[in-house]
Amino acid sequence: MNWSKSMLFASAAVLALSAAAAHAENMPKRIGYVTNYATHEWYQNVIKGMQSRAKELGIELEVQDANLDVAKEVSAAEDFMAKGVDVLIITPVNEEGVVPLLRQAKSNNVPVVLEGNPVKGMTTMVAICDYDTGYTAGVEAGKYAKEKLEGKAKVMNVGLPLLSATVLRSQGFMDGLKTIIPDAVMVHDLDGGGNPDRALEVSSAALAKNADINIIYGINDSSSLGGLQAWKAAGKSQDGLLTVGTGGEGLAFINAMQNEPSYRIEAAMFPEKEGYTAIDAAVKLFNGEEVPEHIVSPTAPMNGDDWKKFYDYDGTTRKIKWDAVNALQPPEKCMKTSADLKK
Amino acid sequence: MDMSELTQSSAPRRFIGGQLLGSSQLVLGVILAVLCMAISIAAPQFYSEANIIAILRQCALVLIVASGMTMLIITAEVDLSVGASLAFVGCIGMAVLNSTHSLTLGLLAALAFAGAVGLFNGLVVTRLKVNSLIATIGTMMMLQGGVYLFTREAVQNHHRLASFTVLGAGYLGAIPLPVVVAALIFALAAATLRFTTLGRYLYAVGANERAVRLSGVRSQRLKLFAFVVTGLCVGVAGMILSSLMNAGQPTAGRGFELTVIAAVILGGTSLLGGRGSLLGTLLGVLVLKVIDNGIIILGWNQDLQMVVPGIVIILATYLDIVRNRANVG
Amino acid sequence: MSLASTDTMKAGPSMLARLVARQELALLLCLILVIAFFSFTAENFFSVRNITNVLGQASLALTAGIGCAIVFISGEVDISIGSLLATIALPLIIIMNDTNSLVLGISGALLFGLIIGVVNGYLTAYAGINSLIVTLGTMFIMRGGVYLYTGQRAIPDDAALDSFIALSDGRLFNVVPYSAVIAIVLLAVFAYVMQHRPFGRQIYAVGGNPEVARLAGYDVRRVKFTCFIISALLATVAGIILAARVGSAQHTAGLNFEFQVVAATVLGGVSLAGGIGSLTGMALGVLILQFLSNGLRGLGLPTEWQLVITGMIIIAAVAFDEAKRRRAIGG
Repeated sequence: MNWSKSMLFASAAVLALSAAAAHAENMPKRIGYVTNYATHEWYQNVIKGMQSRAKELGIELEVQDANLDVAKEVSAAEDFMAKGVDVLIITPVNEEGVVPLLRQAKSNNVPVVLEGNPVKGMTTMVAICDYDTGYTAGVEAGKYAKEKLEGKAKVMNVGLPLLSATVLRSQGFMDGLKTIIPDAVMVHDLDGGGNPDRALEVSSAALAKNADINIIYGINDSSSLGGLQAWKAAGKSQDGLLTVGTGGEGLAFINAMQNEPSYRIEAAMFPEKEGYTAIDAAVKLFNGEEVPEHIVSPTAPMNGDDWKKFYDYDGTTRKIKWDAVNALQPPEKCMKTSADLKK
Repeated sequence: MDMSELTQSSAPRRFIGGQLLGSSQLVLGVILAVLCMAISIAAPQFYSEANIIAILRQCALVLIVASGMTMLIITAEVDLSVGASLAFVGCIGMAVLNSTHSLTLGLLAALAFAGAVGLFNGLVVTRLKVNSLIATIGTMMMLQGGVYLFTREAVQNHHRLASFTVLGAGYLGAIPLPVVVAALIFALAAATLRFTTLGRYLYAVGANERAVRLSGVRSQRLKLFAFVVTGLCVGVAGMILSSLMNAGQPTAGRGFELTVIAAVILGGTSLLGGRGSLLGTLLGVLVLKVIDNGIIILGWNQDLQMVVPGIVIILATYLDIVRNRANVG
Repeated sequence: MSLASTDTMKAGPSMLARLVARQELALLLCLILVIAFFSFTAENFFSVRNITNVLGQASLALTAGIGCAIVFISGEVDISIGSLLATIALPLIIIMNDTNSLVLGISGALLFGLIIGVVNGYLTAYAGINSLIVTLGTMFIMRGGVYLYTGQRAIPDDAALDSFIALSDGRLFNVVPYSAVIAIVLLAVFAYVMQHRPFGRQIYAVGGNPEVARLAGYDVRRVKFTCFIISALLATVAGIILAARVGSAQHTAGLNFEFQVVAATVLGGVSLAGGIGSLTGMALGVLILQFLSNGLRGLGLPTEWQLVITGMIIIAAVAFDEAKRRRAIGG
């Protein structure tokens, strides 16, 4: 007994020491993050995750917003380098536009962590696996359809063809769905623009053309909700309908899962965790450690009330439960990536 | 120049625009008819009840704001802040609904806010003499920033009032409620422009502000009025949109101002002021939204939704000019 | 929007010249104030590196702003320049990727720009369509065309020619970005033309009072037509610089750029009514806004505050300017 107790103490001491050692490694003083679109809920929560981790590690984090404009992204990164940040974290507005920026960072010896999108010539990127996220949600949707929708799956995909990430999500969803329901079909393949009013307008027109669907899939929460609102505006009942959202970026999906009978599945992507992981990656780069090219941030499909496992929600704000999210095991590698799309 | 001279000077103009179908409306009517025929031949679902309702509902939002905007442009001013205001109004209306559970209060708050934005624009333009294009770009930026200071995320529907849902998704008989609202606002604005002294003054201010001022009418008041009316229209549209979306979306309304202005211009209202009609605006809205819908129904590349209206706007304006020249010569 | 009312025109040329000079002085003071304010409040703001960075960032709006101001002075508007930035990047990058030649790429871009300028100019000056409508239309057509052609994907600069990269990264004497040098040279040339060459006087005359200009024997249509071509070509240069800065042809390039340039130009005292303003004023307007947004970023202010403050300053500056002008001419 005594022996095992002392063992426990000893191991605890070792752990504590190693933790201290980890903290004792050189911390960057200042990290600059150029985000893609700071006013979007997704990035809001990425930033929250970063701030929380940076505070823990005693790092000063500064955030700039490109507001969907590559030119502005380049300017903001220039500003940061002029200011002398130790590491840059960048969410590329798109994959091609930040190549010059990486070039400049290299000539200034500033390490760069990318969040979200890969770029030619990058050192490392923290991102979820989009295809896998859609796929696992598709499998769950298949199970639901088998049980509650008489085994039929006719999908309206409120997609966004312009980004490889969102195309992968839609593909993954259909592929996952077909593992359970082989004759699942995509009735509508729409460009909802990723924003709710556009998704609503496009879905309305599509449903007017053909309303014989029973699953609405959205590549983000705005898209799935836009699709569902179009369904409701057409005066249809939600009986026999399943709505699947992606992202779990803000409060909208929690509200929908509580109030919309058809909104049963959410492919959660935990933006907070992605921010958290990006800061860790920045610290490693600062210390010259080896890092994989793609650091995968975990995702998980949530059925019904599953979201309560990962989030506290008091009606106005949500708070991530770090223990639950940090316990999720991300895959080593994605099943499919944007490189597979280009083939 | 006294007032009788003034009304006389604008009389021939009104005569041309006042015919049942002015020249530009005729062109537009033909374009609309050709479009409808072409699309329905290629895709018979175009004439389904569900699709017509979908088109009308989409038209409603644009038409409501375009009704105010037509008046404003007739007075030779413009408002680019309507898209940003639309988003803000929805968020404020939803927030007030959430805290008061009263549809009346929510609507009043939305109207008060949107009216105040119109008033602000109007005062900046009429009192501070800032060009309205610039003034409302400024307001647009302030509203875009302001809405995110107000709420970081979409304002969710926590009140679950049935009457609120009806606002966007409800029907009066077979007609969607937003369409009824749009029709009412349109009729009111059209009647004001055509049959009232106020309407005549609005045309006169746009045609020749100096003459109006010299004749003792307070031209600035008229412009202010048009700004506030445009604002109030945005208030109504914003609430309908937030009902349709079931949330107040701070990201809504991007590019909405350009759609509205494009519809008004397409309808033959002159950006120089003094000329235009609401009937034209109605046709302009219909043409743009039928094109939008047709492109989706035909399964064409949605990027055409930018190219085609661009061509139509230039073409329609040009045809109008050619017709006018032919009439003169 | 009242493109017509020009009370100021009655003030006479010498009065106007003095007014313009005084306005430029006021703008210069304003710029110095902005720089002074941020030098004390924002870390690293007043450093050679940061200031030259801002000049590089401003080069786009400065170059396109010259064209915007000239079109304004001629009494018209051109709001298609944002979409033009995205359009001309396509031939530029595609030709460079195919031929590995910067000269051919730039020639292709300029040819596209020329065509766009001819279309805008012809429809406005000769077909007689309101320029706001024309350029609103071409703005939609070009943006939609770029989306259609690219499938809403950016086209990477695979050629990565050193000479092209230098447009983004290179600095004269290792200090001033080449893009800024280009903008300054163009600005000097056009400022000279506008103030001291007959063509410049024609533009002012045409914008100030087309009737008088016609009586003076100027070809009003041709002057306006030329102004649109100049505007399109200068926006093309801005588009080339932008493509270099982002190393690709971006389908979203220049979204809202026209608002930014129009705001800076008006802030710089160039009147939408035509006939009034100077390129120096425009340049000061661009620099004020650019240093402002750089400084606000330096303070770590979030986007929403940057938007609100920029919006307020634009309105306040134009209102102040208007008030001053009316007081000066006693109107």
